[in-house]
Amino acid sequence: MSAPVNAGPQLSRRGFLASGGVLVVAVSLKPSLAGADIVATNSLDPARPASWIEIHADNSVLIRTGKCDFGQSSIFTAYRQIVAEELSVPLEAMKTVVSGDTDRTPDGGGTFGLLRTNVLNLRKAAAYTREAVLDLAAQKFGVARTSLTITEGVVSGGGKSATYGELVTGQDLRLTIPVTGDLTGFGGIQVTGNPPLKPTSAYTIVGQPFANSSIRPKVAGETDWVGDVKLPGMLHARTIHPATLGSKLVSAGKVDAAQFPKARVVVIGNLVAVVAPTEWEAIQAAQQVAAETKWSEWKGLPGHERLQNHLDERVDWREVPVRQGAANKGDAPTTQAKAAKVHAATYFMPYMKHAPIGPMVSLADVRPDGSVTLHSHSQHPQLLRSHIARMLGTSEAKVIVRTYPGPGHFGRSNGGSAGSEDEAVLLSRALGLPVRVQWMRADDMQWSTQSAPTLARIAIGLDPSGRIASYKAEHHGPPMQDDRPIGAILAGLPTIPPPSATNPFSLHNAAMNIADRWVYGAISNVEELGHGTDQIGQRESPLGIGLRDHSMRTPVQFQQNFPRELAISEAAALAGADPLQFRLDHVTDERVKAILLRLREESGWVTRPASVRTRDGHGDAPLRGQGVSIMLRDNGYWACAAHIAVTPASGEIKVERVTIVADPGIVVNPLQLKRQVQAGCLMGVSQALHEEVAFDEGAITSADWSSYPILTMAEMPEIKVVIAARPEVGIYGQGSESANALAAPAIAAAVLDATGKPVRRLPLRPEYLRTS
Amino acid sequence: MTALKINGTMRTVTSPAGTPLLYVLRDELGVMTPKFGCGLAQCGACSVLLDGEEIRSCVTPFDSIEGKEVTTVDGLPGRWARQRGLTPEQAAGKLHPVQEAWAEEQVPQCGICQFGMMIKVTELLEHNPEPSDADIKAALTTSGPSPHLCRCGSYAAILDGAHRAARLMAQGGAK
Repeated sequence: MSAPVNAGPQLSRRGFLASGGVLVVAVSLKPSLAGADIVATNSLDPARPASWIEIHADNSVLIRTGKCDFGQSSIFTAYRQIVAEELSVPLEAMKTVVSGDTDRTPDGGGTFGLLRTNVLNLRKAAAYTREAVLDLAAQKFGVARTSLTITEGVVSGGGKSATYGELVTGQDLRLTIPVTGDLTGFGGIQVTGNPPLKPTSAYTIVGQPFANSSIRPKVAGETDWVGDVKLPGMLHARTIHPATLGSKLVSAGKVDAAQFPKARVVVIGNLVAVVAPTEWEAIQAAQQVAAETKWSEWKGLPGHERLQNHLDERVDWREVPVRQGAANKGDAPTTQAKAAKVHAATYFMPYMKHAPIGPMVSLADVRPDGSVTLHSHSQHPQLLRSHIARMLGTSEAKVIVRTYPGPGHFGRSNGGSAGSEDEAVLLSRALGLPVRVQWMRADDMQWSTQSAPTLARIAIGLDPSGRIASYKAEHHGPPMQDDRPIGAILAGLPTIPPPSATNPFSLHNAAMNIADRWVYGAISNVEELGHGTDQIGQRESPLGIGLRDHSMRTPVQFQQNFPRELAISEAAALAGADPLQFRLDHVTDERVKAILLRLREESGWVTRPASVRTRDGHGDAPLRGQGVSIMLRDNGYWACAAHIAVTPASGEIKVERVTIVADPGIVVNPLQLKRQVQAGCLMGVSQALHEEVAFDEGAITSADWSSYPILTMAEMPEIKVVIAARPEVGIYGQGSESANALAAPAIAAAVLDATGKPVRRLPLRPEYLRTS
Repeated sequence: MTALKINGTMRTVTSPAGTPLLYVLRDELGVMTPKFGCGLAQCGACSVLLDGEEIRSCVTPFDSIEGKEVTTVDGLPGRWARQRGLTPEQAAGKLHPVQEAWAEEQVPQCGICQFGMMIKVTELLEHNPEPSDADIKAALTTSGPSPHLCRCGSYAAILDGAHRAARLMAQGGAK
């Protein structure tokens, strides 16, 4: 539902209150829609005191956002800081953050790009609010508005002053502001118009290292996590997922009633589950029933060992239109044909899992009147709401999604569902009781989406002086965004259409976008092409699923930055150049130059050509190497150096040190940014060293932490984070995503430096090193 | 029926024999800080102290530990108060130094693994009040049935948190 509104902000006094007082900033809706569907589908009725921002008589401020925090803290730090800044109130006044719940937040949208564009909603709402309060003060003080100032929440002018709270005391004021958008759409509602924003040069709160207000209650054990929610009479459920990604149910097993007297089986299409009043009985009974449940056989996947070959030879890449990179220029193929030297190679990145530490868990309560309350952990609750309504064939107005903290899953639910939510709803509807579905570790590994694989062919032409004359990249892979809830598919109920070449929604198209933001301005001939295809196994699977893909942390750009940056390091080696200086020689943007120079200082970089000797790697004496990578993402500039040691006999890599220099523009909170960068970087080291989804011809065989290992603390390198803020660029920098993508190419380049041998695939496992 | 001492209080358990302690704590007794991560003793999210030693509650039948004392993160402040002989007035509102350090150092990202991390670091510091980086890494990687895993990558913050916790314990808790 789209609700464009052209009216400007309007402040109205709804009445006077005997005590207290409130200024409520509500969304304003097109009048013709206000009484009709918009109320039914929008959880916020503008006639009610639900709002973006509330300023109370005690000077406390409450904010509401449809976005959820996934552990990087922006909702509880940056959002509070940015609103406090626009209002000019102390951060401590920002007492309450209501986030995510579809019936208690105004704007929808997803938890991604939180500081990129999403924060503009609250920032503008705050600016509109401040302007309205200035109007109130001017009226009350009887002075010109231009003579007023606000400091620490106190409005002063003409010798008079009052706090925000004092200005609203005794009144019920309602400010309406213009918005547009679709509450349950991918982008949600956006605040429109251009209220005057505080100049960044006047910032006093943005830029300070405030603590994340959600951490102390978490470590004190006071927080309700998604798995902790209980409802009277609720049943515990375990789903029995099919034997393969294309298997249909032949017959469901029966509960051994003597052993498990209170358990029962529920079958909805190909969705099989066991429910019981206690969790342990549900787990045991599900194991017993699973062993006796029969599924049809299916084979339709290449197996992970043949995945690279499959992408290389078996996929018809002509089916999906080619995407061109935004930086394409000149004539790379012709230039390359005339080049003095050419580095040409193929790079491969496997499927990777989001791999949250806790498997997905949801609790649903479907009432006899058809209303649904879903307790979940989602990056996009309003979109999840729409998926649930679609599945049930009911109105979105019937569905409420409440959100709680949960295990971080790095993008998996930015299209609504991460797994288990839809299954809980279907089981609750079938049984007429609240049902809690907890996926087991294997369910989460084998039935969730994954980050898609990519095959990249890179060719770099060098001129006689050893400079890059041409860069050509062809990125091949399936799309990154299957947002269909898996339980709905298994149950044979309606979902959004699968990703395909004909899907009109750009995110669900099978095309491969070029996400790699170009940084080498001095290269005259550039050609980056994206080749997409259907998800692997989707066509062959009778269920229409196969290996479902989904964006993960630094989606697509991770997969395009790795081959580019490793290839640039290889080209430097071919040119006999130092890889960091080689990058400096090919960038034109001052911000990139500055971070590279800073990286050289801070990382202990030794300027020398990368090793091109083929060292006979035998024995236990480690070979050491240094590698560098750079990235431009969300207008933030990032550089990374990795120092590693390789043991030739075993092929084992020890990442000893990682240095990251970040120039994200305005740093909203340096303390939180440091933690985000450290953590994002370590997840990247994990992906670089360990992560690859194993699968056979029918199913994912990675089932637990031994078949999908991730980084342990003992493997942690020393990490140095250097934050090089550039407030003058006027953009809030994002944090953890870029840090996540930088490590793998820097580590791979360091392996090249140490051994003289490139390893052009992830993960950099010993067996792949030994065979490269 | 079995009696278990949980966080300093005797509790009667009626779950069927063989039920893993994790489900007894969470579903029967309402002690929610141990989290389900894998059910396989592979991640450490469900860790609790059993007479001061870290175990994985997801694979430990409750009836195998009768007579022993279980401590979860919920019980860490009480454990600290008892160890230090704090009066109720002194203990009021105080977190265990490990929890305090985790807040001060802003350790968690999502935080789901941190209950197990804090339990393991409490065990470490009770045995080794001045651990080195290597001691902390070993405690969280090789000392138990499996490494304690963090997906968000908070290991650097955990290292800072463990050192700060050691300092706080040495000075008698948070000021």
